[in-house]
Amino acid sequence: MRISENKIYNPEIECMDRESMKKLQNERLRKTVAHVYANVPIYKERMDAVGIKPGDISGIEDLHLLPFTNKTDLRDQFPYGLLAVPTGEIVRIQGSSGTTGKPIVSGYTQNDVDVWTEMVARSLMAAGAGKEDIIQVTYGYGLFTGGLGAHQGASKVGAMVVPMSSGNTQRQLMMMHDLGTTMLCCTPSYAIFLGESLKEMGYDPKEFKLKSGCFGAEPWTEEMREKLEELFDINAYNIYGLTEIAGPGVAFECEAKNGMHVNEDHVIAEIVDPSTGEQLPYGESGELVFTTITKTGMPMLRYRTHDICTLNEEPCSCGRTHVRMSRITGRTDDMLIIRGVNVFPSQIETVLLKVPGVAPHYMLIVDRVNSTDRLEVQVELTEDMFSDTVSDVEKIQKCITEQIKSVVGVTAKVKLVPPKSIPRSEGKSKRIIDNRGLTK
Amino acid sequence: MEGKEKYMFINQISVYLENNKGSLRELTKLLAERGIDLLALSIADTTNFGITRIVVREADVEAALNALREQGFVAKQNHVICAGVPNQPAGLDSVLAIIEESSISIEYMYSLNYLIGNKVLMVLRLSAENMSKEEIAALLEGKGVMLVKQEDINRL
Repeated sequence: MRISENKIYNPEIECMDRESMKKLQNERLRKTVAHVYANVPIYKERMDAVGIKPGDISGIEDLHLLPFTNKTDLRDQFPYGLLAVPTGEIVRIQGSSGTTGKPIVSGYTQNDVDVWTEMVARSLMAAGAGKEDIIQVTYGYGLFTGGLGAHQGASKVGAMVVPMSSGNTQRQLMMMHDLGTTMLCCTPSYAIFLGESLKEMGYDPKEFKLKSGCFGAEPWTEEMREKLEELFDINAYNIYGLTEIAGPGVAFECEAKNGMHVNEDHVIAEIVDPSTGEQLPYGESGELVFTTITKTGMPMLRYRTHDICTLNEEPCSCGRTHVRMSRITGRTDDMLIIRGVNVFPSQIETVLLKVPGVAPHYMLIVDRVNSTDRLEVQVELTEDMFSDTVSDVEKIQKCITEQIKSVVGVTAKVKLVPPKSIPRSEGKSKRIIDNRGLTK
Repeated sequence: MEGKEKYMFINQISVYLENNKGSLRELTKLLAERGIDLLALSIADTTNFGITRIVVREADVEAALNALREQGFVAKQNHVICAGVPNQPAGLDSVLAIIEESSISIEYMYSLNYLIGNKVLMVLRLSAENMSKEEIAALLEGKGVMLVKQEDINRL
């Protein structure tokens, strides 16, 4: 049932002419810069170090003067160092994987939750959502922004929310069938898995009322879109976001399915050369950088996403004027997204160093089997870890698996390989073999 | 091995094997090239990996370990009990009955393809709560189980 009446949640803002949008961004940027300079020591220090005062930033033309913010800053300032308001003003914490054992967290004021909620509401409405819809949220609920983000946005458009959270395929399909779910919010890989399981469980796809889905939290491809649309007979839309900026909804696809509109009244997007940091013109491929201009709790100046894409300012057939970002075509770092969870090889290293007898030589092999990501962690076996009994060796294997699960948040298959069998290369060793073909 | 240990146990070498085609052959070929005689070999296999346990003469232990490690295998030496089991009906059962009544658990066992007198040679990896392997060996011997010595193995 691919009927969708895609409406625009906030036409005044979403279809605002480019000139007015620029003025709005300039004004909000000035306010944000003044706010963080006065309230966040690290922003002040960094601006002072390059001799920039808030008064030097009159608008987006001056954006390039501001220092970048990195994920390492969120780690170093964990948990509250980047807050621009007293903790009493914070009403929510969300988090995602850091590059080591600790997560990174972001604090939201009520304003920030409202801003984020509207961004998701716009995204869902662009995918056809409205008051009459029944929206099943299959993203995990918790620190991860997927579940709560989609939930809030779905409530905002007045839909009926089915907060399933992730996992339990049988129950997901049963509820989808019995409740007559019309929209699905899910990671694309799990959605494909659900679609493939549907027939195996004896359901007739015609008995489902699903018409569209918002899929995100991991990179995916046009081939996956075709598959999803065919499996469920729906329209499949891409949604993008990150905890550091807000969560899902930072950018979203409209019915044109040709790039994701960035919510430019709340964030300014730039593309920079990942090695030099130089701003690149629209249309060129580079690293996506965001500056938040309405957040008050933990504003981000020029946050480097490490995602590679292009920006497109051409008018869109849907009527929205906000700039569109392409699909993510790669990463400038070695982050992997496994079943929607951000995984850094350095986290795996942290885990291995904690297990006695384990050498920190490892290789991550990622495959997609039956539409599900599979992570294999190859660890070199040392004599200290080895014993003549199977149970002792399995105990070590289990211990590593559990540690990875607890620190990284994903279940990996741990394979013990002979010593020195993992190639050592000079400098930064190659730790990842990704066979999923998601990036070009 | 020295003193009482030497008297009660024999050497065993355990080798980690990946579940790959040809990995066992790699091991046997290597030992063949070095002229090391395999007196026993047993494999414990799981879905993910295997452990091969071998018995060689004492003079070959060092050479076998070195060869395996050079080739990139993870290999470890340990000492296990080798019992002489009567080569007749109920022979093995009589030994296992003693083990059971002593509340000793068997981690694994396998036989050598040799007889000494009328006894089958069985490698036994045993464990028991609050008992060292020396105590386990002494207890079994005290109950009449014949323990095969490394020097007996060396003469095979």
